Amino acid sequence: MKVLILLPPFLPIDEISKIISQILPDSEIITDINFGTKNSEVLVSTTFTLIGKELIDRMPALKFIQIASTGYDNVDLIAVKERGIMLSNIPIANKESVAEHVLAMVLAQLKNLMHFHNEIVKGNWPFLTNSMELMGKTFGIIGMGAIGKKLAERLLFFGTETIYYDIAKLSEEDEEILGVRYASLDEIFSRSDIISIHVPLTDDNDRFISEKQFDMMKDGTIFVNTSRGELVDEDALVNAIKNKGIRACIDVYSVEPPDPNSELFKMNNAIFSPHIAGVTVESQQRFITETVANVLKYVQGLQPLYRVSL
Amino acid sequence: MKGYEIFSKTMEELKLTPMFGNPGSTEIPLLRGVKDYVLTLHDSISVGMADGYAQYSGKPALVNLHTLPGVANSMASIHTARLNHSPVIVTSGQQDSRHAFYEPMLWHDLESLVGNAVKYFYEVKNGEDIERVMKRAYSISMEPPAGPVFISFPMDVVDENADYMNLPCSLPNTDLVDYGAVEKVLQLIMQSSNPALVAGAEIDQFNAHEELEKFASKLGIPVYTEPMSNRAGFNSESMQNAGDLPPATTAINLALLKHDFILNIGGEFTLYPYLPSPLLPGKKVVTVSLTPSYKFGEYITSNPKLFLNELNKFAEKKGDFVRAMDNSLTNLVARERRVMGVTYVLQKARKEFSNYVIVDEAISSSLLVRKNMGYSPRSYFTAKSGQLGWGMPAAAGISLKSPRVLQIVGDGSIMYAIQTLWTIVNYNLPVKILVLDNGGYTILKSFSGSFYPGLEKAPYLTFSNDILKIAESFGVESREADPDLKEMKWLAEGNSPKLLLARVPKTIPKLFI
Repeated sequence: MKVLILLPPFLPIDEISKIISQILPDSEIITDINFGTKNSEVLVSTTFTLIGKELIDRMPALKFIQIASTGYDNVDLIAVKERGIMLSNIPIANKESVAEHVLAMVLAQLKNLMHFHNEIVKGNWPFLTNSMELMGKTFGIIGMGAIGKKLAERLLFFGTETIYYDIAKLSEEDEEILGVRYASLDEIFSRSDIISIHVPLTDDNDRFISEKQFDMMKDGTIFVNTSRGELVDEDALVNAIKNKGIRACIDVYSVEPPDPNSELFKMNNAIFSPHIAGVTVESQQRFITETVANVLKYVQGLQPLYRVSL
Repeated sequence: MKGYEIFSKTMEELKLTPMFGNPGSTEIPLLRGVKDYVLTLHDSISVGMADGYAQYSGKPALVNLHTLPGVANSMASIHTARLNHSPVIVTSGQQDSRHAFYEPMLWHDLESLVGNAVKYFYEVKNGEDIERVMKRAYSISMEPPAGPVFISFPMDVVDENADYMNLPCSLPNTDLVDYGAVEKVLQLIMQSSNPALVAGAEIDQFNAHEELEKFASKLGIPVYTEPMSNRAGFNSESMQNAGDLPPATTAINLALLKHDFILNIGGEFTLYPYLPSPLLPGKKVVTVSLTPSYKFGEYITSNPKLFLNELNKFAEKKGDFVRAMDNSLTNLVARERRVMGVTYVLQKARKEFSNYVIVDEAISSSLLVRKNMGYSPRSYFTAKSGQLGWGMPAAAGISLKSPRVLQIVGDGSIMYAIQTLWTIVNYNLPVKILVLDNGGYTILKSFSGSFYPGLEKAPYLTFSNDILKIAESFGVESREADPDLKEMKWLAEGNSPKLLLARVPKTIPKLFI
């Protein structure tokens, strides 16, 4: 079975070729999308390459696309659906990385790390602080999927009250193991000291955190978004930061890369990262392993996992 | 002498005692002279006990099965003995040959039944056959690869008169070394850019641990243990220990990715499940084994211990590999403590059972058992076949030779040979049993989750049994572990058989790529 691996040229292609030669020696690795036509049945790619209709049309035998990433925004879903091509992503490889990123941002906010860093760099030596402990705080998790669970696991050792909302409530046993309590969205917005969202973007939840939800939050709530920028009304967020002292931890934006002149980036009590919460050396290794495993499943005639509903 | 007397005299001369068995009417005539008999309450348990006994002692062990039904009941265990390279001499009764023509009850062509599970089969034809066939079977069982042989005794033949001949019984020479290959192997290592060693079960079988450790230390290169080794692999405490290889081709290739030369010493790679990657493409692989299988790479037929001795005379430093220390273990144990995680339980077990022989049949936790309990000479045994119901019998068999045996078993696998508890109690065998109860066939759930998602929720993969009550009904002192696992100390105390049940999480680990 012919497998085409289409990678961005900045990746270590020689190293990847060595790995592939041990796994599927007949696979072809390319970095240039101007390849004419290819007779491959399987296409493996990342989010860095646009998998549009034109490219798909140049692969008449294509039956399965594997994206080695959580996101698959680069794939023309309509073209894929029209051709009856299977599409899979890898939604599970970065859950530890994201959970740790959330904690890093939250702790940075609680401990005033940005402020201290800036002061010391400026030559000052601040004596006072309003730093707070994570212990004892109410941590609200919206979306108790793979990442939410990893976050809850880690919070156990910080001694937080962890409440969560998900469309599917966990079993009592799982709640006990994770030390979490199911709560309504309203309770999460109104009671939490820290709120972190971990839900996929769907047609129904675009900007589902808007003015009303920010109004429900306590002043000074730490709000974390590592999921998707479109889940949050960014104007409402800016207002909440200004008016309620909401402390924002933002990894994702409604437009990426975002406008550097955005009002959001003028806020002092906010921490930003460039949609990179899930990217660590370890998660990249897991992405490779899971991608390999899923492609092998297809090659040996099994149904690949993580099929994207089209 | 009567044939049955020749049988028991030969048994004693060859020190083939005790006999493990579960008799039927067809065996009674043969057993009249047998004094040292260990009864099991299912035929396959006899074979498992003999397998453990033979592997641990390095000598053949004798089993007696009840003709067609007993042999048929034991086929999985006989196959396991074959794959374990275990010298088990299986005997069975056979219907009286004078009416065999009529195919009477219990009669069957036993040779066709056992097929290629044994490497030698003979149905005795007369009294004179008995001594010579037993000695021949003894020798053949030890011929590399050691393995099961089979002798069938028709009921009437054991009453025939014959002389005891005091025939010689030769043991095969296993001290074979291909001296010409020593230099070649050393050259391949030195010419390679990144060599690695793989330790197989033959290292334990031929007691070559010290020689391998010395070799690895001199070279300074990593030593992996073959996938799913049925005996102790490379010493876990050695600084050159690189851990166990996984059993699927893709995973093996990834684990050995950076190495261009693999010297496999006494390993027979067990593969599971199928993955489409070829095995070790483009790599130079040489296997040193007394039982070459010629499946991949080149083979050198030699006793691993003696071959390593020769290598050690000339070995020079090649690398500076030192294993990475598992610094997060303490943290993991602390986290797992709150949910009675398997690593927490095994680390507690390791403290109390550090010098014990571990017999592993905790299938979904086997990797953790190996990692946490560690390998040292004759310290670890499991069924190479993947059979369930082998572990507890094997532990019982080993306990006849070693007073320190811990069987680690799952709640699923313990039910396959639960009657072994009767034998353990009846003969007061010092077997300690640690049950990791995860409420079903977790290995199958993990497999389903990886390859056939959805099936992991199938109701037929989940069950529960009151194992404590079952064990107590056999007279085995049993307890359930509390969160502090204080009972681990209780389990280790004394020589009487005991069972400790730990209810570990029912979460499904990802065990397949």
